[in-house]
Amino acid sequence: MSLSPDFKQRVLASVADMPAPTRAQVTRARAWLLACGVAGAIAIFFLEGGMRVTSRPPSLVALTSLGTAVIAGVGMWVLFTRGRSVLGRPGSRLLIAALASSVLFVAWRYRISASYGFIEAWPGRPGFRCLGLSVLTGALPLLGALLSWRRSVPVSPVATGAAFGAGAGLGSALLVDLWCPVSYLPHLLLGHLLPIGVLALLGGVLGSRILRIWWR
Amino acid sequence: MSIVGEAMGRYAQGDMAAFVVVYDEVAPRLERFLRRHLREKAAIEDLIQQTFLQMHGARGSFIVGAEVLPWAFAIARRLMIDLGRQSKARHEECLEMDGDELAAGLAAPDSSNAEELMDAQETRSRLVAAFGQLSGPQRSAFELVKSEGLSHAEAATILGTTVSGIKLRLHRSYLALRAALSEPALTAAVASVGPGVAAAKLLAAEERR
Repeated sequence: MSLSPDFKQRVLASVADMPAPTRAQVTRARAWLLACGVAGAIAIFFLEGGMRVTSRPPSLVALTSLGTAVIAGVGMWVLFTRGRSVLGRPGSRLLIAALASSVLFVAWRYRISASYGFIEAWPGRPGFRCLGLSVLTGALPLLGALLSWRRSVPVSPVATGAAFGAGAGLGSALLVDLWCPVSYLPHLLLGHLLPIGVLALLGGVLGSRILRIWWR
Repeated sequence: MSIVGEAMGRYAQGDMAAFVVVYDEVAPRLERFLRRHLREKAAIEDLIQQTFLQMHGARGSFIVGAEVLPWAFAIARRLMIDLGRQSKARHEECLEMDGDELAAGLAAPDSSNAEELMDAQETRSRLVAAFGQLSGPQRSAFELVKSEGLSHAEAATILGTTVSGIKLRLHRSYLALRAALSEPALTAAVASVGPGVAAAKLLAAEERR
């Protein structure tokens, strides 16, 4: 069996009938969706009070935020971009990037805060507010990323969605780092690390529905 | 950059004429790939058309300089699995190789010697049976690497595993095929090419059918 010229004409006609955005249009649409997600996250951040230095020395805030920005930036770049393949990065690489950047960011925050002696427990601040704020600020960029890649991931949409979730979680960690003065380790684990896992889970669940390809 | 990669890059930027080049390069490979899993011509054509529609719809996501074939295979494979799940009646033994039919359809060897003919048929039957007993992931890895000529990394991406995982699957496939050829006389028959290539040739013979 070989494909007939009639079949070729049929495919060409069906493709010609279906409008499809070009690279430039897709890039613009993605930039808009992501920008909207990030703007929403920043709006929520400021509605919750924005940056709060409290009793922390400004140099501590600057150091933890700078380190978090670098770690989150590298992690987000790996988790959100596709590399040189249309099929994206292998799931194992995404998993390593997500785990490494999450652990590294908490370790950095704890280590720097410890050097300033700011790791004591804060009564009444177990970390639930940070957890809520992180999930809320991360959910909007995650949604933007998922929508901008909808119906275009043929391999591992769950892993891709989870990577987007972890990336969004790292981004929200950067905002919450500016907001939260507590560096008590159980608080960091509950309020700052767990949200990355929650968003990764959410991304995986939504990714299986939104990112996967469907019959047209 | 390959011809199809370059054409896909132009097509992603809006040059509709470049799609013909993409079709000409990709369609025969897809047809060969799908024919190993499906017997119904209409289903194969549906899948190919769907794959091109998906590529068309996602052309804006194409990364200039990226390989096109692994992407096309990945889409076709995904759609084939979905088709199998949605409609088992329409989809004939998705990802299953019918060993008996494959053996019956293989091209007959040229030899006129009855003994050689019987040996060749026995070798073929053993290889086909061994190939049929491979697990789905092992068969997929074998087909993509040995029959379609994709790299280990490309096959790994399509199948959602690691390069090591692909190497392991191929290694186990070779072991199974080698075991099927364990008798000295049979081993000698394919010694010059190895079990992997011998099985790939059998698949190619089935395609010529």
